[in-house]
Amino acid sequence: MRTTKTIRFAFVLALALLVAGPTGLVAQEMRGSDPEHTLPMTWDRWLDHDEISERLQLMADTWPDFLELQSVGESHGGREMWLMTINNPATGGELDKAGMFIEANVHGNEIQGAEVVLYTIWYLMENYGRIEDVTRLVDERVFYLVPSVNPDGRDYFLDEHGSGARTGHVPVDSDGDGQFDEDGPNDLNGNGVIEQIRKYVPGEGNMRVSHDDPRIMERVAPGEVGDWVMLGSEGIDDDGDGRVNEDPVGGYDPNRNYGSDWQPNYIQGGSMNYPFELPEARSINDFMMDRANIAGFQSFHNTGGMILRPPGMAWYGDYPRSDIRVYDEIGEMGERMLPYYDYFIIWQGLYTVHGGSIDWANDGLGIISYSNELWNGGQYFNSPLLQAQQQDPAQPISGFQKSRFFFDDFLEFGDQYVEWAPFDHPIYGDVEMGGWKKLSGRVNPRFMSMELFHRNMAFTLYHADQMPLMSIGETTVESLGDDLYRVRVDLTNSRIIPTIIEKAQQTNIVRPDILSVAGAEVVAAGWVPDKHRPGPTDIIDQAEMNRIQIRSGHPGRTTKTIEYLVRGSGTMTIEYSALKGGTVSTDVTLR
Amino acid sequence: MLYRATRGRPAALLAFGMTALLLASSGGATAQTGAYHDFDAMTSALRAAVDGSSSASMRALGTSAEGREIWLVEIAGDGDLDPAARPAVLVVGNLEGNHVVGSEIAVGIVQHLLSGADGTADVLANNTVYVVPRLNPDGAEAMFAAVQRHRAGNGRPVDDDNDGRTDEDPADDLNGDGVITMMRVEDPEGAYVADADDPRLMRRADAAKGESGQYSVYWEGTDDDGDSFYNEDGVWGVDLNRNFQHAYPYWQPDAGRHMVSESETRALMDFVVAQRNIAAILAFGLSDNLVTDYDGQGNPGGLAGLDLLQYATASNDDVHDVGVFRQGGGFGGGFGFFFGGGGGGGVPLRGAQVGRDNDPTSGRRPETTFHANDREYFAPLSEQYKALTGIESVGLNRGAEGAFFQFGYFHYGVPSFTTPGWAPSAPEAEEDASEGASSAGSGRAGMAGRAGMGRGGRGGSSSPGADAALLGKLDAAGIDAFVDWMPFEHPQLGTVEIGGFRPYATHNPPADQLADLGRGHGEFVAELAGRLPRVRLVATGVTNHGGDVFTVTADVVNEGYFPTSLRQGMTSRAVQATMVQIQVDPDDVLTGDAKSATVRRLEGSGGRASFSWVIRGQEGSDVEIRVRSQKGGTDSATVTLR
Repeated sequence: MRTTKTIRFAFVLALALLVAGPTGLVAQEMRGSDPEHTLPMTWDRWLDHDEISERLQLMADTWPDFLELQSVGESHGGREMWLMTINNPATGGELDKAGMFIEANVHGNEIQGAEVVLYTIWYLMENYGRIEDVTRLVDERVFYLVPSVNPDGRDYFLDEHGSGARTGHVPVDSDGDGQFDEDGPNDLNGNGVIEQIRKYVPGEGNMRVSHDDPRIMERVAPGEVGDWVMLGSEGIDDDGDGRVNEDPVGGYDPNRNYGSDWQPNYIQGGSMNYPFELPEARSINDFMMDRANIAGFQSFHNTGGMILRPPGMAWYGDYPRSDIRVYDEIGEMGERMLPYYDYFIIWQGLYTVHGGSIDWANDGLGIISYSNELWNGGQYFNSPLLQAQQQDPAQPISGFQKSRFFFDDFLEFGDQYVEWAPFDHPIYGDVEMGGWKKLSGRVNPRFMSMELFHRNMAFTLYHADQMPLMSIGETTVESLGDDLYRVRVDLTNSRIIPTIIEKAQQTNIVRPDILSVAGAEVVAAGWVPDKHRPGPTDIIDQAEMNRIQIRSGHPGRTTKTIEYLVRGSGTMTIEYSALKGGTVSTDVTLR
Repeated sequence: MLYRATRGRPAALLAFGMTALLLASSGGATAQTGAYHDFDAMTSALRAAVDGSSSASMRALGTSAEGREIWLVEIAGDGDLDPAARPAVLVVGNLEGNHVVGSEIAVGIVQHLLSGADGTADVLANNTVYVVPRLNPDGAEAMFAAVQRHRAGNGRPVDDDNDGRTDEDPADDLNGDGVITMMRVEDPEGAYVADADDPRLMRRADAAKGESGQYSVYWEGTDDDGDSFYNEDGVWGVDLNRNFQHAYPYWQPDAGRHMVSESETRALMDFVVAQRNIAAILAFGLSDNLVTDYDGQGNPGGLAGLDLLQYATASNDDVHDVGVFRQGGGFGGGFGFFFGGGGGGGVPLRGAQVGRDNDPTSGRRPETTFHANDREYFAPLSEQYKALTGIESVGLNRGAEGAFFQFGYFHYGVPSFTTPGWAPSAPEAEEDASEGASSAGSGRAGMAGRAGMGRGGRGGSSSPGADAALLGKLDAAGIDAFVDWMPFEHPQLGTVEIGGFRPYATHNPPADQLADLGRGHGEFVAELAGRLPRVRLVATGVTNHGGDVFTVTADVVNEGYFPTSLRQGMTSRAVQATMVQIQVDPDDVLTGDAKSATVRRLEGSGGRASFSWVIRGQEGSDVEIRVRSQKGGTDSATVTLR
């Protein structure tokens, strides 16, 4: 397998080099901005861990000046936790720029976020130097990208039997018999699909075959009887305890193991025993705690078409107003960029989540964080006409089930469905097995991937662009005689997100911004309320006036003017250091 | 009564540091009575105890921030069951760094259980006892440093005041007496006055009585970083007994960055969650639920902390306000100008959103009180504890946010006890203690929280209740726990007085009491182990229906005192149901109980559950029945089909 793929990619790479040679930016513009790809890649395939690894390595080899591929740890199953850093060293060190952290696939069966992440790396690199906004974004920021937080679960979903498995692979004794993961589903008929089991029990069942379509199983109305019962997923009693599939791999929720509002298992199912117990969550967190420059966080999940913000639960009240304002503005922008996606608070629009990753990013690390639920069945029929037809019982696409079969029959040519077929089950006897394949429902059809990847990437790039960005504007020096000077400096954060969100200031989890002066003695300093009018300044009373702490940070889209009364001569350096907004400085001459 | 008051206090107090230093410098030795052990000496003492026994072994669960081993001693003698399946007691000591007595007692427990004393043979045969004597070896080692301070935390550097510099303003031993105490400074703006009854103690001036404050109180030291705060960022570390999952005090510098964030707490947690035969926990710490009654809500009651420590810590309360600039607020016109209107202009916030709108009050909340039925089971243990150790009341009892024993009960679901393990005994002062012990709060951290003895909570009462009660007992016991205030010329504050509670002395007994405390607690652990659940298969039977069809019956009995699961163990789902399994092919179970049948709780003292399976089998063949209780061991029985 691996050899074939490597050869394929090598061939593609060679082809790319041949084609790319003589063309230039002007030629591309003449063709209507069609890119000449440095590294042509296709996006119509779901990639397992090995394939993701190859693509990451290929990209790191192709753009070595910008990309650094590292493993932040191993999954429980021994797979590398890949993290790609995008940084342009020519514009500064990694830790001196605000960082955008993008992760995906923490739930094993929520796969397509990994491809969004890969696409993001690829798109940024392909278009650096070609599209002005992309170039600026890559120059101003650093990106940390993790395609799969749960590579064990991903491979279990794609390559094995984990059709419905959110879990990772840390063993859990789900049935309380002292054994771990000893009875999962089995592919009894060897067709590569874990199917559903139904049994024909005339007059004794609670399900029936739909009159509309014999493939649809319907629950009968109360008081009626059906001819069928559903017997769960394909499998047997592996451990001979009289129960079927009762202790499959894992058995927890890897996105309930983070450190903010973590709750025990009986309050939040699947949270494990303590936060960051899972090696995957721990590796991610260790990496993030080491990088205080991370100022944006995005997590990709499925499904439902949502842009979610924390908090995951309502008990402790909402975030401070100024933080909500930031969330709302970016989230509402996302709704415009992502049709069929609603911007919700997690607990309000989805359900209560304790100990999720984006709560931790916000509360524990002071980072504005979103989670997108990728894909929404509404996109099967994305016009007002078709949506009206879905409501009309006379139409072949009416209702959820019929429309799903219609779409599969005519757009995917029946690829996502397995017809019911008889099977002699060792426990249940004569049954039928069949049903939807695992990709159906939660994962978008492959032919719709490009749009999903691109729109979601665009949203995260907008978020990245709104991370705090400090700059120094106008400076003035006024001599007051006797080596005494009045120096005014404009400090600007031109983006929406403040250098320290208010929640983080309240809990003291982000280092204050530091405004420091070298080369002169600071006699006094204060904020200028309005530099265009005469008036008093708001004196700053701190012990170290050449190292002023600004615990409340610098608000979004705001310029503040600091006024120094200094004694000295020659060059005075003023530096503003915000861990999440960069460090900027200027020299002024005292004369 | 095993407990006795100290004799010869000056020598005993000197022994705190000196004897251990001697032990350490002589390369470690066997356990000696009358001495606190530094890390090397404790390691040697453990090794000596383990090496002399075939029923004990010792290994490291992990290492501390500074690289010391976190020792686990496992005690289990020859018996019917694999030690990993036996009902087990877990003992953890020295969670707070300055509670070294906890690890001394824990070592004493190991020695007692391996001594062959009465009652220990049953424990060795039937149970496993896991002892982690010193969870916080880095913090404990500070007791043996040249200068002693009120330090509860581990060895992790923490930027307590969040100013971008770490440990830049620690306390200083200004008067060179080898201990960090407090400073009081005459200050017309101060909040405190000296107490009339005991002028050593301070209390908050009561404005309602027309009093005005006369003193400010600080920790001993200088303002090293010139920020006008005294000793606001010292070497305190993370307090491991505030780092666990129940009622965790979020975002407090001494509680760690998140639950179980420390290498020490993680090492313990990884062991505990893997070792599910642990059926009871005894943690030594600065909280108590063994001799102090629960309050009306079912929480550990009788909280008592020292106001003086809290006052010193409160002198730095404002440090987190430095550099908070409110936009607009109090500044007239606000700052500068805005780009593009800021924050989406006048668009209202997205409070209630279109779409799904879940109920904000829905969802289950975690339990916060000890279940009344569980407390009934605990009560006899408390009586036994008092009888065996002689401890009737405690001097200090702090709020238990994030404490390990709380995890043990609320999450892990087993009987879980905490005790300071010692209290100064002065019967005549006990009335005072119960009065003074009513109001100490919890919550806000600070140095007092770090020291593990402060009240926590801003303010404090206007009468030095707990301080006076404890000091009265310590005085009566002849323990020199208070450094009298002495004038000192402070380089920054001018004339001050230095004095106050001596580190360690309020909650670590004179060393000559350690041996008795170890023995008494060892006897208590043996008692506790003897009360754990123990399941047995009894009264099996077979009925032959002819044609290879049989009914097999079995009764399971819990011969222990505790039920196989507490109520909280069921609520938290941490304790698995007891499983009774008949070892035949599932297809041969024709009717009756499932092959793998369960019972969620078997009461202690003979609680019984009956099972019956109708099976197909070969006449004359043997069929095995197994029972497995997570906290109550395993058993099996074989019946012959006839």
